Amino acid sequence: MSHRHSHRLSRLLNIGLPYFWLGLFFLLPFVMVLRISLAEPTLAQPPYTALWEWVEQGVLQIRLNLANFQLLREDDIYLAALLNSLWVALVGTVCCLLLGYPMAYAIATAPERRRILLLMLIILPFWTSFLIRVYAWIGLLNANGLLNTFLLWLGVIDEPLKILHTQMAVYIGVVYSYLPFMILPLYANLTRLDPTLLEAAADLGCRPFRAFLRVTLPLSMPGIVAGSMLVFIPVVGEFVIPDLLGSPGSLMIGKLMWTEFFANKDWPLASALAIVLLAVLVVPFVLMQRLQQDDEGTRT
Amino acid sequence: MSSLPDRRLLESWQDPKAAPYVRIERLTKKFGDVYAVDDVSLNIFQGEFFSLLGSSGCGKSTLLRLLAGLEYPTSGRIHIDGVDVTDVPPYSRPVNMMFQSYALFPHMTVEQNIDFGLRQDRLPRRERAERIGEMLDLLKITPLRKRRPDQLSGGQRQRVALARSLAKHPKLLLLDEPLGALDKRLRENTQFELVNLQERLGTTFVTVTHDQEEAMTMSSRIAIMEAGQIMQIDTPTAIYEFPNCRFVAEFIGSVNLFEGKIVERQGDQVLIEAQFGGLMRMRSFQPHAIGTPVMVAIRPEKMRLCETPGGDGVNRLQGIVEDIAYLGDVSIYRIRTGSGLLAEMTLTNIQPRTEQALTWEQEAVIEWSPTSGVVLTE
Amino acid sequence: MKRRSWPLLSILVFGYAFLYVPILLLILYSFNESRLVTVWSGFSLKWYGELLHNRQLLDAAWLSVRIAALNASVAVVLGTLAANALVRHGRFRGRTGLELLLTAPLVMPDVIIGLSLLLLFVTLQQTVGWPDGRGFSTITIAHITFSLAYVAVVVRSRLARMDVSLEEAAMDLGARPLTVYLRITLPLIAPALLSGWLLAFTLSLDDLVIASFVSGPGATTLPMVIYSSVRMGVSPQINALATLVVALVAVAVVIAGLSMRRR
Repeated sequence: MSHRHSHRLSRLLNIGLPYFWLGLFFLLPFVMVLRISLAEPTLAQPPYTALWEWVEQGVLQIRLNLANFQLLREDDIYLAALLNSLWVALVGTVCCLLLGYPMAYAIATAPERRRILLLMLIILPFWTSFLIRVYAWIGLLNANGLLNTFLLWLGVIDEPLKILHTQMAVYIGVVYSYLPFMILPLYANLTRLDPTLLEAAADLGCRPFRAFLRVTLPLSMPGIVAGSMLVFIPVVGEFVIPDLLGSPGSLMIGKLMWTEFFANKDWPLASALAIVLLAVLVVPFVLMQRLQQDDEGTRT
Repeated sequence: MSSLPDRRLLESWQDPKAAPYVRIERLTKKFGDVYAVDDVSLNIFQGEFFSLLGSSGCGKSTLLRLLAGLEYPTSGRIHIDGVDVTDVPPYSRPVNMMFQSYALFPHMTVEQNIDFGLRQDRLPRRERAERIGEMLDLLKITPLRKRRPDQLSGGQRQRVALARSLAKHPKLLLLDEPLGALDKRLRENTQFELVNLQERLGTTFVTVTHDQEEAMTMSSRIAIMEAGQIMQIDTPTAIYEFPNCRFVAEFIGSVNLFEGKIVERQGDQVLIEAQFGGLMRMRSFQPHAIGTPVMVAIRPEKMRLCETPGGDGVNRLQGIVEDIAYLGDVSIYRIRTGSGLLAEMTLTNIQPRTEQALTWEQEAVIEWSPTSGVVLTE
Repeated sequence: MKRRSWPLLSILVFGYAFLYVPILLLILYSFNESRLVTVWSGFSLKWYGELLHNRQLLDAAWLSVRIAALNASVAVVLGTLAANALVRHGRFRGRTGLELLLTAPLVMPDVIIGLSLLLLFVTLQQTVGWPDGRGFSTITIAHITFSLAYVAVVVRSRLARMDVSLEEAAMDLGARPLTVYLRITLPLIAPALLSGWLLAFTLSLDDLVIASFVSGPGATTLPMVIYSSVRMGVSPQINALATLVVALVAVAVVIAGLSMRRR
C-alpha cells in the first residue's frame, strides 16, 4: 500500500507546508500586533513594555494597557483619518468602476485576436514599479508641471491649478494605480457571459441598452463586487499615494500608522491603529471571500 | 440467466470449468450517500469483448475506473488473473485504459505518448522502439508519429490513444466510451476495426458505452447497468430476444408490453388472460403459478398483419391505425385498440410506399406467434 | 455586438491614455538635458550616466534583485504546493482556513503586513534569538509571505483547467505519483510557474512599505532609495531608472509573446 503512503506524504507537503508558512508569518504576526497594542510605549529597544512579568517566584503579573485605544477614541485626528481613508477608498473604487467597467466591457466584446493585446496593455503597467508610476504624477500635477503648463498654454486657465497635494491628486493616484485590479476580474466575468443570452434578449424584443441593464449588468455583479473589494480594501490602508500626492493636512490611516511608527516611535499606538484598521476591513473581506466561494460553487 | 439454447459452441462463460479472468465480488462504491456501484458481482473471461451499457450516471464508468484502480471501492474485491488487485495502485495493475477524452499528453509527440508507458517499465531502448513501430503499424498511424496531439483529427487521436494503451501489451484493456467523440460515420467504421483488432490480439476488452447499437455490434457479452446495479448480463442476441425484466426490454430497442394473468399451463406454453381483453399463448420455461400477474414483451417487428381473421383469436389485437412513421426500409405502425391500448408494429416496406395496403384510420388486426416474445414477471 | 459604439471606444482610448501618458512622459523627460519638466533643453543621456555612477542606488538595486529572485523562487514552490492542496486534495479539514490565508495577503494593506511582521521578528529575536538582526533575510521572508499568495492564484487557475484524466492516464500507464507530477503535471503548468515567478519577482522589486518596516540598518532596497529621493520632488535620475525598468519589462513581454506565438 505504498501509494497510500505517498498520498499521505503529498498531503502533508501540499497542505502542511503552506499552512505552516502562512501560520507563522501571516497569522502569528497579528497576535503580536494585538499584544503590542496593549503595551505601553517606553524609550527602550524595542520601544514597548512587556505584557507580563514574573514579579516574584510563581507570581505572574499581567499588565493590559487599554490607553492606546482610549487615545484613539479621544483624539479626533484618528477618527478623522479613518473616515477620510474610507471615503478616499470609496470614491476611488467608484471612479475605478466607472472607468473600468466600460473598458472591461469593450475589451471583452472586442474581436478575439485584439482582446489579448488589449488585456496585455492593461496588465503591462502593473509590471512596472508602482512607486515610479505614482511618482510620475508628481511631475504632471505640479503647479509648474505639465498639466498646468498645457492648460495655461491652451488658455483654459489663467493661473496654475493646485492639484498636487490635494485630495484630488490622491483620487487620481488611486484610480491610476488600482484600475487594473478592477478591470481584470470584470473582464474575466464578462468573457464568461454567454453571448447567446443577449441574442435571446434581443430576440425577445429587448433593445441593446435595456438588455445590458437587465441581463449583462446583473450577471456581472460578482465581477463588480470582486473588483471593488480588490480596490477598496488595500486603498483604505494605502500609504504611498497619500504620502506622495496628498495634502499633508488630510491624513489617511495608513500614513498615520507610518508616522506613529517611524517618526514618533510609538509602536503600541501604531499597533492599536493596525487593530482598528483590521477590524474595519474584516467586513468587506468576509464579503469578498463569501462571494468567491459562491462563484466557485456554481462553476463546478 | 437465459441464453440461446441452440448455440453450437460452448463459450467460455458457459463452461463451468473455465476460470474467469476478471472476477468482481460484491463490489460497492459510494460517493457520499450515493451508491455509484451497488453490490456488483461479475465474471469476465479471457478474450471477451465485454460491454457495460447504461444511461449516463448508471455507474458504468465508475465500475471501469474501479477496475483500472483509479477509484478505491467502498467494499468488495477485484481479482484479475487470479490475483486480488483491490489494493494494488493503478500504476502496478496489469491493466490499461483508453480514456473518453483520450487524455493524450499535449506536450509529447505521438511517438512519445506511446513510449510513455514503455518507459515506466524500464524496457531497453531497442525493445521500446520495436514496440512503438509495431503499434504505429497496427493502427496505421506511422506517418503521424512526430506530430503533437493538437495537430491530429479526432479519429487520429482515437487511434493514438488506442496505440498508447495497447503498447504495454495489457491482458485487459479498458475503454471508456471509445467511440463517443467520433462522428457517426467514422464511428461505424471504427466499430468493426476495433472488433477485428480485439480478435487479432486476443486481448480482453471491457468497454463502457451508452450507445446500444455500438454495444450490440461489438460485444461478446453485454451487462446492462442501472442505478449502480447490473440488470442483465448476456450475449447481444439474448439481451434483445430474451430480456429478463421490463427495464432491459424497454432499454434495448422498442417493445410492446401487454399485461395479463396466467390462467393455464399447456406443456412449455402458458395461456394468459390479457388486460386488453383477449387471450395470449406464449412459450415460457419458467414455472409460473396459475394467477401470477405477468407482462408479455413482443418486439414490433415480430408483429404481423393478420390475413385470415377468425380462428381462436389468441395472440391477436384489433384496432385502428393511428400513426405511420415511414423510415424508408421499414414503417412503424401505431395501432390503437378499442380499450385504448397502443400497439406498435414494424413492417418491411416490400412494396413501394404508395401501394401499401395499410393506411391511416384503417381497421387492422395484428397477431404474433407464441415463440416471438417473452413472459416477464415484473 | 459587432458594431462598436463611439462612447465605449472613446472611454477605452481615454483609459489607455490615462494609463500610458504619465509613463511615456517620464521616459521622454529622462532624455531631457534640463532638470525641469517644463523646459525641454535638448536631448541628453547625462541622467543615465549619473544613474550608473550612483553607488547607493546601484547597491540598493543589487540587493533588491537578489531578494526578489530568492523570494520568487521560494514563493513559486510554496504557492504551487498550496495550489496543489486546493485543487487536488478536495475537501480536507482546514481547507477554508487555507483559502482565507491565501486570499488575505492579496488585499491586506502593506502597512499592516509590514508592522505585524516586524513585531513578530522582534519577538522571535527576543525569545529564540532568531532572526539575528534584520535585513536581507527578514525582507525576503516578508516578501515570500505575500508573493506566495499571488503565485497560488496563478498556478491554481492553471491546475484547475488541467484535465485530470491526463494524470490518471499516466498513472494507468505505470507512472508512480512522483513521476506523474514531474513528467506530466509540471511541464503542463510550467507557463503558470514562470508567470508566477515573474509576478513574485516584480512584487518584491516593487515593495516599499513592507521592506521599510522589516528592514534593518544597512539594508536599503531600491524602492527605499527611490522613495527618499522622490520625496524631495522630481528627480531626472529616477526618470532614467523608470525608463530602464519599462524597457526591461517591454523586452520581457516581447520575448514572452514571441515564444508563445511559436507554440
